[in-house]
Amino acid sequence: MNLGFDEDQELLRSTNRRFLEERHPITALRPQLEADSNFDRAIWREGAELGWGAMLIPEAFDGGSVTAQPLVDLVAIAEELGRVLYPGPFLETNVVADAIATAADENQCKAWLGPIARGECLATLCLTEDGSPDLRSIGIEAVTDGDNLRLDGVARFVAQAHETDLLLVACNTPGGGPALVLVPTSSEGVSLRVSTGIDLTRRVCEVSFRSVVVPAANVLGEPADVEGRLTRIFQLTTVLQAAQSVGASEQLFQMTLQHVKDRVQFGRTIGSFQAIKHRMADLWAELEGARAATWYAALAVADGQPDLDEAVAVAGSFVRENAAFLAGESLQLHGGVGFTWEYDVHLYLRRAQADKLLYGDPSWHREKLCQAVEIVAEGEA
Amino acid sequence: MDVRVPEIPESYQGYRSRLQAFIAANLPELSFKPKVGLRVPDEPEDVVKLRAWVRALHEAGYVPARYSESEIDEIEEKIRVEELTKTGVPHALGNGLVAGALKHFGTEAQKAKYLTGLATGEHIWTQLFSEPDAGSDLTSLQARAERDGDFFVVTGQKVWSTWAQFSDYGYLLARTEPGTGRQGISAFILDMNSPGVTTRPLREITGTTDFNEVFMDAVRIPVENLIGEVGQGWAVATASLSEERGQVGQSEASDPVVDLMRLAQRSLRPGGRASADAGIRQKMGALAARSRIHRYLSYRTQTKALQGQSELTDAPLTKIWFSETNLDLCELGMEIQGAAGGLAEGDSRVVDEGRWQDGFLYARAWTIAGGSNEIMRNMIAERGLGLPREPRG
Ligand SMILES: Cc1cc2nc3c(=O)[nH]c(=O)nc-3n(C[C@H](O)[C@H](O)[C@H](O)COP(=O)(O)OP(=O)(O)OC[C@H]3O[C@@H](n4cnc5c(N)ncnc54)[C@H](O)[C@@H]3O)c2cc1C
Repeated sequence: MNLGFDEDQELLRSTNRRFLEERHPITALRPQLEADSNFDRAIWREGAELGWGAMLIPEAFDGGSVTAQPLVDLVAIAEELGRVLYPGPFLETNVVADAIATAADENQCKAWLGPIARGECLATLCLTEDGSPDLRSIGIEAVTDGDNLRLDGVARFVAQAHETDLLLVACNTPGGGPALVLVPTSSEGVSLRVSTGIDLTRRVCEVSFRSVVVPAANVLGEPADVEGRLTRIFQLTTVLQAAQSVGASEQLFQMTLQHVKDRVQFGRTIGSFQAIKHRMADLWAELEGARAATWYAALAVADGQPDLDEAVAVAGSFVRENAAFLAGESLQLHGGVGFTWEYDVHLYLRRAQADKLLYGDPSWHREKLCQAVEIVAEGEA
Repeated sequence: MDVRVPEIPESYQGYRSRLQAFIAANLPELSFKPKVGLRVPDEPEDVVKLRAWVRALHEAGYVPARYSESEIDEIEEKIRVEELTKTGVPHALGNGLVAGALKHFGTEAQKAKYLTGLATGEHIWTQLFSEPDAGSDLTSLQARAERDGDFFVVTGQKVWSTWAQFSDYGYLLARTEPGTGRQGISAFILDMNSPGVTTRPLREITGTTDFNEVFMDAVRIPVENLIGEVGQGWAVATASLSEERGQVGQSEASDPVVDLMRLAQRSLRPGGRASADAGIRQKMGALAARSRIHRYLSYRTQTKALQGQSELTDAPLTKIWFSETNLDLCELGMEIQGAAGGLAEGDSRVVDEGRWQDGFLYARAWTIAGGSNEIMRNMIAERGLGLPREPRG
């Protein structure tokens, strides 16, 4: 029985924490909040040496994980990146790497995985028109054009597309089913609009495709297994989002705990009022729950456990919603300073709210959880 | 990470079949229906039958690890609990909290006599901690124990003492020094048949009679019935209380999340089945998540225990998660039934023999007893997060 990081994963985590404290503390975000570019590639390349893009990539292509559970290793890194509200497309790049690696086409692996693992190539996900994980929301149509496909349409809520080199695109095919294709961001016919978002530390983009030509060599996998691949993609987004939000919540909780211990009103620290003590106890208890749910889901996906769908839906419905709640409570307990632009609390609050709604909002995951329970109920009957 | 529950090896099938055959041959027929929680029969004949049942289990070698001094095979223990829980009939009687106290603080003679008595069903125990003026603030208890030669003479009143009406022994906290606070409290084994002990049953909101008032008027307790040293009672009590909290919600006869879904699939609402109602599904999804997270949190506490890294906040954390989720699950179970959720056991049309309504009422036992959830929150805030202690009045 071990629901926790092992020694190697703890080491991975602490190495990443030290690196980020030095190279990308939360203060590093300030100059980027309202700038055009919000992301420093040099730091990503240094992070690549700590494994930021390598865990889900086989060693043969310059990747490699710390343990036999690469996704759990990645969760250890994700928590630390979440803690400092790291803006880069960490989650998306890793999910794209996994999609390429599991499709296992030798040429595609050779072309893309090495550069991703080495931090030279950043990637993101162009999946749906509404940011949901619902295949009915795919907004890009493909037509065949000789050996190629030609794409037209739009994908929205694409994280950090303006800072990436490669897009993993979901499109509807003339055959009816969806396909997954790789499109370099610089391809002719691809245009980007950076959306103005509530999250100041990470941008989402609208990516339009106008007669974008995709060679057959850039199609991932066989048509029959695309739905399975998309399911896997959304399992990974859920686990990694959860891990980032647990890291962010932990940081914000510690900031808030320190604040209620320091701030004096009515001649006593505000943390001595029971109304506040109990709220802190609840935030702590729920955060412990969020962490357990995240780790369990990571484990279930890493090992392909039978209760994987259930575990992912638990994490998807609970963890980010809880992070958003915690961020709101933290702001409230900070009082007026929490309401200032200068204080960091709103950066966490904004990230938590935006994150909660991307790749399946909590209601969507609750419905999935009911479906998973129905299957268990049927099996036991 | 690895939380896989090891598969039960084929070689244990014999153990399970023997136990199943034993249950089929010996399970008592009782005059009451099994219910959740620490519940007490109304009829003395039922208690007689239950004692015989627990004795038979013991004689056949089916002994709980908790009451055993020797090593118990973990897989056999798991099968034993699984099969016996399924029967719905209690397989341990009274409040067994004293076992932990005896294991850590008892003399060899005490262990030999009382652990065996607990295991065989010969001894039923009650926990005599709470008093009318000492609930959450247990250290303010006032029952007095004064030394008189080879005896302590005890006078005072206890309350909410579950199982006391049928108990042979009480696990008693009383003051050997006057005053208040942790100092001067001692732990005793009280023979409930001693002269001067009066037990008055109380009826609970569930309609059943599980707990009692216990009056002690100059009751003589021999000194060998002291648990630990004089004045060590608080340490004895806290050791056993955290064990109690940690166990809350650990063995359930069925999966409450699946039970809730099945209930929704059977329940009709104006538009169709409750299981197809989007609003109900959202609520079920939210509670399913909380219920599963309670399970994952218990994996976390087990992991920490195995690594020798248990923390004082582990038991309060799982107690809050379990007890509040359980209450919400029962309430939703009633809501799913629509207006029929307002029926209760005894009505010919009540759903599932009224288990959701009884579960709803009993749920408050878990949010109050064993340290109320507010006290658990104080513990987390003060001991876990380092926030200032509550001032004493
Ligand atoms: C079903 C059941 C079975 C029980 N069985 C036993 C038994 O077998 N043996 C035994 O000894 N006891 C038993 N108890 C007693 C139980 O331990 C007490 O009820 C419990 O400790 C609370 O004490 P109280 O009832 O006096 O409530 P109080 O202490 O009076 O509390 C009343 C309310 O005030 C709140 N409160 C109190 N102090 C604080 C504080 N500092 N901060 C914030 N809120 C506070 C409480 O949380 C509660 O909501 C049982 C109780 C129940 C409900």
